[in-house]
Amino acid sequence: MTAVLHSEWTKLRTLSGNAWLLLGVVAATVGISAAAAGLTHVSGFTHGGDATKLCLSGVYLGQLIVAALAVVAISEEWATGMIRATLAALPRRISVVMAKAAILGGLTAAAGVVAVAGCLAIGRLMLPANGLAPTHGYALISLSSGTTIRAAGGSVLYMALIALLSLGVATLIRDTAVSIGVVVALLYLPPLLAQIVGGALGRHIKELAPMSAGLAIQATTHLRRLPIQPWAGLGVLAAWAGVSLLLAGVTIRMRDV
Amino acid sequence: MIEAIGLRKRFGSTLALDGMTFTVPAGRVTGFVGPNGAGKSTTIRVILGLDAPDEGQAFVSGQPYGTLRHPLRHVGSLIDASALQPARSGRNHLLWIAHSQKLDGRRVDEVIELVGLGSAARRKASGYSLGMRQRLGIAAAMLGDPPVLILDEPFNGMDPEGIIWVRGLLRSLAAEGRAVLVSSHLLSELEDMADDLIVVGRGKVLANASVEELLSEVEAPAPQLVRRRAALEDVYLRLTGDQTEFRAGSDREDER
Amino acid sequence: MTVTDTSPLDTGRGASSFAAALHAEWTKFRTVRGWVFGLVLAAMLLVLFAYLTGNGQHSGICVGSGQSGATQPQCGQGHPLVSVGPGGEAVADSYYLVGRQLRGNGTITARITGLTGVTSNAPANAAPSLARTRPGLAGWSKAGVIVTASTRQGSPYAAVMVTPAHGVRFQYDYTHDVPGLQGAPSAAAPRWLKLKRAGDALTAYDSSDGTNWHELGTRTAARLPASVEIGMFVTSPVTFGGLATSATATFDHVTLDGRSLGSGWRGQGIGEGPPDFYDVLGAGGFRGHDSAFVVRGSGDIAPAVTAGGETPASLLTQALVAALLVIVVVAAMFTTSEYRRGLIRTTLAAMPKRGHMLAAKATVIGALGFIAGAAAAAVSITLGRHVEATNGNYLFPLGALTEARVIVGVGAIVALTAVAVLALGAFLRKTAGTVIGGIVVFVLPAILVVPYVSGASGSGGDPSVPLWLLRLSPAAASSILGSLPSSSQVSYPYTVGNGYFPLSPGVGLLVLAVWTVVLLTLAMGALCRRDP
Repeated sequence: MTAVLHSEWTKLRTLSGNAWLLLGVVAATVGISAAAAGLTHVSGFTHGGDATKLCLSGVYLGQLIVAALAVVAISEEWATGMIRATLAALPRRISVVMAKAAILGGLTAAAGVVAVAGCLAIGRLMLPANGLAPTHGYALISLSSGTTIRAAGGSVLYMALIALLSLGVATLIRDTAVSIGVVVALLYLPPLLAQIVGGALGRHIKELAPMSAGLAIQATTHLRRLPIQPWAGLGVLAAWAGVSLLLAGVTIRMRDV
Repeated sequence: MIEAIGLRKRFGSTLALDGMTFTVPAGRVTGFVGPNGAGKSTTIRVILGLDAPDEGQAFVSGQPYGTLRHPLRHVGSLIDASALQPARSGRNHLLWIAHSQKLDGRRVDEVIELVGLGSAARRKASGYSLGMRQRLGIAAAMLGDPPVLILDEPFNGMDPEGIIWVRGLLRSLAAEGRAVLVSSHLLSELEDMADDLIVVGRGKVLANASVEELLSEVEAPAPQLVRRRAALEDVYLRLTGDQTEFRAGSDREDER
Repeated sequence: MTVTDTSPLDTGRGASSFAAALHAEWTKFRTVRGWVFGLVLAAMLLVLFAYLTGNGQHSGICVGSGQSGATQPQCGQGHPLVSVGPGGEAVADSYYLVGRQLRGNGTITARITGLTGVTSNAPANAAPSLARTRPGLAGWSKAGVIVTASTRQGSPYAAVMVTPAHGVRFQYDYTHDVPGLQGAPSAAAPRWLKLKRAGDALTAYDSSDGTNWHELGTRTAARLPASVEIGMFVTSPVTFGGLATSATATFDHVTLDGRSLGSGWRGQGIGEGPPDFYDVLGAGGFRGHDSAFVVRGSGDIAPAVTAGGETPASLLTQALVAALLVIVVVAAMFTTSEYRRGLIRTTLAAMPKRGHMLAAKATVIGALGFIAGAAAAAVSITLGRHVEATNGNYLFPLGALTEARVIVGVGAIVALTAVAVLALGAFLRKTAGTVIGGIVVFVLPAILVVPYVSGASGSGGDPSVPLWLLRLSPAAASSILGSLPSSSQVSYPYTVGNGYFPLSPGVGLLVLAVWTVVLLTLAMGALCRRDP
């Protein structure tokens, strides 16, 4: 297993595009969070709104780049035919997928830690200037709060799980463009669908969809209004990632390369 | 007829073409030979208007390629046989090229017949062997029934039968009066087929002569088959000996 | 040499070579099954989402035409009714009329010495009642004289009126509005109003003293029956904040020249009952006789800017986003597949004019995107209307022209997005980057604004972000779906949340077109500069 891990690590490390994508994850996440924090003033903020969630909103965009990184890591092997070389060298196909998952998950989590730390710092520095300060009843963003830690740590896990989900989907589908399209559709379309159908069905969709359930982890206020509780929501996303990797493992074993 | 006049092209720090100049006459098969990285593919891309030279000009039938209307009726080319959309069938690949030249499906079926692709043409290109891809590429080059043909490494991945077929085809095309330029990094692939040889190295022409002339440089009488091959190989190695850029390495170097 | 160079046409070189490139690119597209499937999938997703949107609405409103008197038989009990005006547009038409029938030509004159009223202060979830009010009026409360084709809602009419905040106005057929004397009426500054009927022409006059008359204008549009309703009216709309109001006006010096039927003035509430969608405050009424009256009324005679339901266009809000997501993937594949395997060299060897190649590709994907988008939008609207009718709901009427604009607009959005992503692909040459870039630039802004546009946003957050996205990002083009009429005659928050976009449909589409053109220019520059 260490050999597989090592070879996959070398593969990811030696493509300069991957480093740029990881940098992109951090930049996009922090950038959008900064924009959201800068554009939000206490006057336009719903009373009792969730300032922590607001300053983590960059994850909404950052996850797209995470998805791109994870999809490309496997789909380009098929595009170039390199997958044959990979599987000739490492015939235990499932362990190849698992090694990729481990390394992508780890790299994404590392980028996620940096990104989330940046988001929190931005929240701490920028929000008070716009009135989201203790004088208006909003506590400063601080790691001494348990819910903030849950939101921050959960966001890091969320990004790592998105990487695993994307890797699974791309292993199943093999085509770069279609895989990214499917991941994006899985993430963004169910919330639209929930808006449309509304009511109990809409709530169920939000409970079960990877993004709307997974991002529940970012909530620090009004937990009762959430369609699903934070950790349960992240669990739903983990189930999605697990199932997609399981299907990926089965198909890569069964199908010809 | 193809003319390349003083082509120069630099990729970053690498000088790919360094005053490449030659002419490919009609009615003859001209071998374009040199080690990897000698600038063969770049020259062909410049002739086809794909790469812009830093200096120099290339003409096909007396015109720059970009000004040709329906260029594939003037020049047929095979650059990279594996450049196919995997989900598209071979026949449909030929069909879109035909449509770009205002040709129709009948001509497509003719060239499929000509290269012997037959029923395989209706299968997805992703399942093609390298040899089938080469045949498809030659079919694409023949679509416009052009007076000039440029084939970059057409023997790659072909079985011996295929190699013999290509040689015969190219000879007969030259006999019909067409100008045929065939590149290869292996001299042995071109022997017995080429009338002329352009030997290149490090972006310029090292020798441009008929096979007979090149042989006469070697003081080896009685050009019997075995002797002749050895002698030609000798000339080639002597010409390119100090020009080989990569003793061992990827032959993709000039593809960037 | 047996080979001849066949080039039968020597004229029209450019056009001919472009036509061939177009044919080649079309063949390329249609011979990859996955791309054709993607296009069909985009159209199907659009229809599916629109269907679900239509099916998900159960708080229906019925529509009827006052002119034909026909209401939809599917309309169940308790479904409020929106009238349709002479132009096919939705209108509010509820007021109190003190009138009589006029046969042939005639003139009504009246003086108004006061306009006062009350505003509901009942809680938002309770029905407005005269029992819970405070003094105050809406800016567009109206009292004056009117000639209307009939007392059915949605009838053609003309009226000259006083208002608290907009002076004297001459309004007719719901959408036309001409200003007259400034200021609100009072005992110290009364307003004289006169309306003259001559055939189909209705001419309005105002005056501050009853001797010096000033003509405001003449309405000649729709034909009027020989016998029309003529009289005094009072109505008072909901305030900007959504509170119902009731107005009371004092008329005197009322004269009617002409042949009137019946005996004396009759009071009649128009559209005050529960079936009408418009919130009114209490029932209207009048007292007085001969030439002096006090009249109370509530409601509005104006374009209906909202009735709380779906429009054929709003059915497509989410559906369009879903379709765009798929189109981005298809368009990205259509270009970047050329670069993945060096196919671009074969393409450019066959079509050396790179501009023609790009233009041909853009034309193919643009035309296909337009057809898929417009066809899916047309099907969605038809299907949506059917579903809503089956469920006893209704779609806010837009008029055929606006519907056609929405259908063409959706096609244009899909086409422009496809072309823009194609150009992005030619510029970036990488599949993953193009798909992600296309989604971030062309789909994500639309996803972000959807909750605000569809009014589903209950969450916090400053609306300035969606507003700016709707102005500058490619999502600006979704203003093509902004089909609700806004009217200067109605004081209403014309906000994104209420379905009103910051840009007009044409300008919104232009913003997307600018994005597309910029990307095409970048792609063209890169294509000409770079060796493939």
